[in-house]
Amino acid sequence: MSGVNFVDVSKTYEDGTEAVRGLELEVVSGEFLVLVGPSGCGKTTTLRMLAGLEEVSEGEIRIGGAKVNDLPPKARDIGMVFQSYALYPHKSVEQNLTFGMEMMKGEEALSSNEIESRVKEISNLLGIADLLEKRPRELSGGQRQRVALGRALIRRPKVLLMDEPLSNLDAKLRNQMRIELRRLHEEHGTTTVYVTHDQIEAMTLADRIAIMNDGELQQHATPDECYNNPANDFVKDFLCRHIDEIVTTANHIVSKR
Amino acid sequence: MSDLAIRWFAPLELRILSGMSFLSCALLSVVLLFDYFRGDYDSMAIHGVGMMALMVMILTGIDFTEEGRTRRRDMGLTASGITLACGVIGLAIRGAEYLLVDLWAGLVLLIPGLSGLYLLSTPLVSRWVESTIERAEAEDGLVRNRQLLPKWQAALKHVVLLHVVAVVMIPVLWIIDVAISPGDALQGGAMFSSPTGEHFSNILGGDNFWVWARNSVIVSIGTTLLGLCLAIPAGYAFSRYRFKGRGAMMFTFLLVQMFPGIIILVPYFMVMKSLGLLNTAIGLILAYSVTALPLCVWMLKGFFDTVPKELEEAALLDGCSQFGVFYRIILPLSLPAVAVTGLFSFLVAWNEFLLALTFNTSDDMFTLPVGLASYISATDSAWGDFAAMSLLVAIPVVLLFIVFQKFLIEGLTAGSVKG
Repeated sequence: MSGVNFVDVSKTYEDGTEAVRGLELEVVSGEFLVLVGPSGCGKTTTLRMLAGLEEVSEGEIRIGGAKVNDLPPKARDIGMVFQSYALYPHKSVEQNLTFGMEMMKGEEALSSNEIESRVKEISNLLGIADLLEKRPRELSGGQRQRVALGRALIRRPKVLLMDEPLSNLDAKLRNQMRIELRRLHEEHGTTTVYVTHDQIEAMTLADRIAIMNDGELQQHATPDECYNNPANDFVKDFLCRHIDEIVTTANHIVSKR
Repeated sequence: MSDLAIRWFAPLELRILSGMSFLSCALLSVVLLFDYFRGDYDSMAIHGVGMMALMVMILTGIDFTEEGRTRRRDMGLTASGITLACGVIGLAIRGAEYLLVDLWAGLVLLIPGLSGLYLLSTPLVSRWVESTIERAEAEDGLVRNRQLLPKWQAALKHVVLLHVVAVVMIPVLWIIDVAISPGDALQGGAMFSSPTGEHFSNILGGDNFWVWARNSVIVSIGTTLLGLCLAIPAGYAFSRYRFKGRGAMMFTFLLVQMFPGIIILVPYFMVMKSLGLLNTAIGLILAYSVTALPLCVWMLKGFFDTVPKELEEAALLDGCSQFGVFYRIILPLSLPAVAVTGLFSFLVAWNEFLLALTFNTSDDMFTLPVGLASYISATDSAWGDFAAMSLLVAIPVVLLFIVFQKFLIEGLTAGSVKG
């Protein structure tokens, strides 16, 4: 099974800044976890340490029970959606999707039939089947985002990582994609770690949220639990008060009609 | 709204005249220089007067209040007349012994002069000057302005560009003329009067050219390959990795560029001699690669800096090895920059003269530039053959640029927009 464990994980940069301090976090297999917090709280660093793109200064990261600190990214069986999508500009959409699968060698190598069927499956699922021949620069933001998602999912990773994937989209598209992401998760059940600074995304997408501030974990619980029983003042202010303000504003707008 | 149209409309003719006069003024300053150097003070005076009249004409394009219009228009007309007169007189002074330059100077004055007289007398301008323009006419005028202005601006830009091209092309045309004219005169006689291929057949028929060409090709291609093999990984390393001495090394790369080649000539010669690399292609290839390397590394590093790190991270997650990332992702994206760098290396090697002259003592190891120089002697030089060979030496590089120009333009503007 593919749960994720952060055991007393810390990240200190060469110049002394502590990005993450003593993180203890467990992601249950199949869970949708949202890491949320203000800018600079360490959530992206945590995600990148999990991906293997940053070195862990102290502590252990485990995927499926196995320690992965020293494993390169490709060995961790992870799919990641970057904030800027990072699609290969010189490859078509289809090539972007198949690149990861073509890199699999040896006993894990996939036959071209298998690759083709997976491309069909994912592109139909995400609604990008008619874009397969295009280049990333010809696509809209929403389309690129779905291709990035497809690229991450197509290798059937153990853990799916997403780094603020919706922040480059307009509000309406963001709402749509939130529903899509949730639906995808229900269908596939892949363990997902999702990083965002947006409290609404956290509350609506997550099975559980992990609120971080200044490198430290503030609270780790279901959205309801965090809202009803905030663990400290920061959570109270960052989460509860923010949501209350939104509700008040929304009511205000509606009541004037 | 109608008052707005009338208030803000000004005939395009005025803007056109203004722009034309400005351009002519700029060109006239060059003419004045010519006159000064030729010691032709009479012409200089005439051209000076013309230039001042043109400056008055520049003012015609300035939007002014209703009261000043008539006065300005009349001033513009007078200035146009003066400009025209100066152009005619300027040509008349030279009389029969005019050069192409005088004709050009004349045109620079005549065209704005005539245009001014014509444009400032059109009915539209007259009505505008007398403020008897109506709303419909003003609105149509505004539309017409918007449609025609870009075309006029394009025309003026082209005039400027034509001048620039002429400055570059005139020496080239001269050389072509020497190459295809019989005999060895460097000047005199009409251009392209009796074309002959004798110089070209002299060069191409002889053995020397082909030997030298072969040497140049070997050395240039070798330099390009070796230079790229070294510069690409170096640029990538400088871009992606942080290591001790990185800054110092980059600075040293810049520093060595500041030394003129000639100061390392003697030590270089001694090194090549002791390595037994004089009179070899390898020696030159090594020397050229090293000379071109700093600039190539800087160019490539700058380009690699623009490739987002996230692309590499995505590839790593997709299962690429570090080398695979470089080979499958970075390199295909860098082709424009590599093309520019390669072309630059080729160019440096092809045209290099000093080192080739010093390292090669035997005639059959000369490269083309050195061979070319041997055609110039203190006594009688075969200018015709020399010109023909110059053109032949230049042709491969021109061809390369034409073939690769799409890449080059992309490479030179790389980094401005990233997909």
